[in-house]
Amino acid sequence: MNAILAKINWFALAGGATTIMVIVVSLFYPWWQLTVGDNLVKVDASPVNMNFGFLDTSFTIPFIWALNVVSILTLLASGIAMLVYSIIPRKPYSKHLLGFGYKKPLYTLLFFVIGLIAATVICQTVLNFNVPLMGSTTSTLPIPFVSGTTLRVLLSAGFQWSFWLAVVAAGLCIAARLYHKNVAPTPSATTVP
Amino acid sequence: MDKVRLLLSLITIAIFAIPILGMLLAYQDNLPGLVIPSEINEIADDLLGGDGANGSGLKPPTVVGQPQYDEASRTFSVTFQYENTFPIDITIKSLSGNIECVDHGFLLGNASLSDSVNIGAGETAIMTALGTWTEEAIDHFDTSHRGEDLVDVVLVDLALDFSGLQIQIDQRLMEESMQVPNPVS
Repeated sequence: MNAILAKINWFALAGGATTIMVIVVSLFYPWWQLTVGDNLVKVDASPVNMNFGFLDTSFTIPFIWALNVVSILTLLASGIAMLVYSIIPRKPYSKHLLGFGYKKPLYTLLFFVIGLIAATVICQTVLNFNVPLMGSTTSTLPIPFVSGTTLRVLLSAGFQWSFWLAVVAAGLCIAARLYHKNVAPTPSATTVP
Repeated sequence: MDKVRLLLSLITIAIFAIPILGMLLAYQDNLPGLVIPSEINEIADDLLGGDGANGSGLKPPTVVGQPQYDEASRTFSVTFQYENTFPIDITIKSLSGNIECVDHGFLLGNASLSDSVNIGAGETAIMTALGTWTEEAIDHFDTSHRGEDLVDVVLVDLALDFSGLQIQIDQRLMEESMQVPNPVS
C-alpha cells in the first residue's frame, strides 16, 4: 500500500483537483470585480465567466464568451490530465500528460492578468479614464456632446478569493512538475563495456 | 508515446479552434455583434439619445416658483423640478450649488438638498434645497441693493450625486435667473 502511495504525485493530484475546483468556483465567483458608482455598472471578470452589468441589465460579449469556453475546456483538459498523470506518473506517456497539463493554469492566469492590465492601460490612454486594478479611485468620465459638465464616479476594483485559488492551482501544477523527478526518476545512463 | 503526444496536440487545437470558429460562423452575418452586443447599443441610445440638454439624457434641474426666506434664521429655500430622462430609477443623494448675484457676480451663499430623493424612470420630482446667506451676502444686499425688494440671483456650480455618479455643471447651464427677497429691505 505504501509503495502505491509513494508512486503518486501528490502535487499533481492536488493541482488537478484544484484546477477543476477553480472552474466550478469561477462560474459563480469572479476573479476580479469592478464596481462603478453605487452598483451602477458592475464588471465580473474571470477567464471562465465574464459578465457586464448595468443596473438590472446583465450582458456578455459573444467573442469573450467564446474565449471563456476556450478557458473552461483548457482548464478542464489540464485538470483531467494532471489527475490521470498523478496516479500513473511512471508510465512512458505520463510525462506528456504532465507537460500538457501543468502549464495551462499558469498560462490562463498570466493571460488574464496581462489582459486586465492591458484593458486598464487602454482605458487610461485612449479614453483618458482611470480604472484601478485594485482599490478605489474617483475618475472623470468623458461625456460626448456635452460641454461645461463634469461627470465623476467612484470606481472600486479588486481581485477576489477565486483569483487566489487559481494562483494556488497554478502553483501546485508547477510544484507537480518539479516533484516529477522524485516519483519517476529518470533511469541513469548505463555504459556498455 | 507519439500517439499520446499527437492526441494531446489535437485536443489543444480543438479546444481553441472549435469555440472561436463556431462563434465566427454564428455571427458571420453580423461580425460587429461579436464584440458589441445589442444590449450596449440599446443602453447607449437610452443614455445619449434622450431629450435632455444638447441631445444627451442629462437634463439640468429647473427652479420652480420663488425662493422663500426666513428672516429669523436667515435661511432660504429653493424648490427645483428634476425630470429623470434616464430609462432607470435614480437616487439623488445630494444636490448643492452656489447662489450668485446676477448684477455683480457676488457669491451670496450656497444651497444644498436636505434629503436624498428617489425618482423613477421618466418621472419628475420636486426637491427643496436649503441654504443660508453669508455675512458678506447680507452686507452686499445692504450696500449694493438697498431699497430693492427683490434681487436677481442665479444658481452656479451645481453639483449632483446620483447613484454614485457626481455631476458638476461648471458653466451657468441654468441660465434662467430667479428673484429672491432682499433680506435687508
